[in-house]
Formats: sequence, C-alpha cells, structure tokens
Amino acid sequence: MEQLIEQLKGQIIEALNFEEMTPADIDADAPLFGEGLGLDSIDALELIMLLDREYGIKLADPKAGKAIFRSVRTMAEYIQANRTK
Amino acid sequence: MRVSHDIEITPKSVVLDGKQIEVSETGERLLVELYRRYVGDYPKFYKMDTLSRLGFIAAEILLKIEPVEAVILGNHNASIKNDRDYLKTITDGNYYPSPALFVYTLPNIVTGEIAIRHHIQGETSFYVLDKQEDLEPIIHATLNNVPSPILGGWCECSDKDEFNAKLQIIWNN
Repeated sequence: MEQLIEQLKGQIIEALNFEEMTPADIDADAPLFGEGLGLDSIDALELIMLLDREYGIKLADPKAGKAIFRSVRTMAEYIQANRTK
Repeated sequence: MRVSHDIEITPKSVVLDGKQIEVSETGERLLVELYRRYVGDYPKFYKMDTLSRLGFIAAEILLKIEPVEAVILGNHNASIKNDRDYLKTITDGNYYPSPALFVYTLPNIVTGEIAIRHHIQGETSFYVLDKQEDLEPIIHATLNNVPSPILGGWCECSDKDEFNAKLQIIWNN
C-alpha cells in the first residue's frame, strides 16, 4: 500500500502540473479538495482520467467520487481494490 | 489617453517602465522565474498554459504598482500553443483528453485569470486581431465606456519559447 501511495503521489504531481512539489510534500491523509492540496473541479476530472489511464478504473458512480478522492490514501485503497491493470 | 506604467516581456527580457529587469532564465522558464520572484504563493500559476502565465505575470508586476478597473487584451494567434498541446491528447489511439488543457483552449481565459486574481469586476475582453495596431481603437472605445485605468495590451504566445507581452496601465485622460 505504501508503495502505491508514493507512486500515486508522483502521478498526481505530474497530472496536475505541481512543478514545485515532491511526493514528500503531500500528506497521504490530508484532504485533496478544499483545504490540503486545494484541488478544484477540473483537477477532479484529471484524477478521474488518471484512474482510467493508469489503473483501468472507470468511475461508474459519480457520487462515489467524494469518498474515493478524500485523500491520497483513500484513492490508493480504492485503486488496490478495483484496478484492472 | 495616458499610459502610466508599461511592461514588455519577451523570451529573453523584461522591461518595466523602460528599465530592463535582470533575469537569468529564458523562454517559459523565465515566466517561472518571474512568478517565484514576484508572486510565489499562487500555485494555480503552474496549472496555467503559457499564454495565461505570460499575461498573468505581466499583469501581476504592473498591478502591484497600480490597480485597474478593466482588462482589455489582444493577440493574433489566440490560444494556438495550448490548442496544439490539447490536440496531442486526442490524436493518438490511446485517447485520454486532458481537462486541464481543455480549459485553456480559449485566449480570453488569460483575462479571467487576471480578473480572478485581482478581483476585477469590470470589463474583461480578449480580441483576436490581424495586427497589434488594431487593438488601439478598441482600447480607445473601451476607455470611453468604462472607468479607468484599464490594463490593456498585446499578449501573444505561439509556442512555449515564443511569446511577447506588452501591457500598459491606461487612463482616459
């Protein structure tokens, strides 16, 4: 799980163009939206694309997004349980 | 019409009110250098396309001197650099269009970025024109209809290392 979290942090930095940031700067348990990384709705779309592109996960239920994208850790847990690649 | 302050940014130089500002980087890295020097606390900058970064940082430097009521910009190539970047994400068989790139496939986004940052609630417009001189009558007309000063000028970006911004703070008297 910890390895997946670190990999995911790197992918988030690349997908969201956080040029100044390193994986160590991201708290795996901090909120992704609002506070924490302060992501917005366009970033949410990028994260949905990331799940599809890197892990073969298509989010069928948009309502589930709130729980999945709560933090890097909740994303990693969802990926581990649902990845197809 | 009176210009109180102006800035010109090219891939190799920055001139503020006629005085050269020393920089060490060139091209797109120059815009990041200016961001670090003059802003530093607005991470959304990194998500912007090059055209928006250019207009944003030019405005940031000028509006620290004097706030404005409106933003009127123009160029010839619209958002061509970002349009090409976005096109790359939808051309190969592995089809993953980027929402973050898509939102910058309009040139007027740069005026929006400036307005959001500086809480400008007046006129914001971006004109795609044949040549730079065509912007002048538009700015004249705008000055007759909105409070001044306004931020006006040319903001062009055809590639990550090919850009030119010449922005001015303009008064109607």
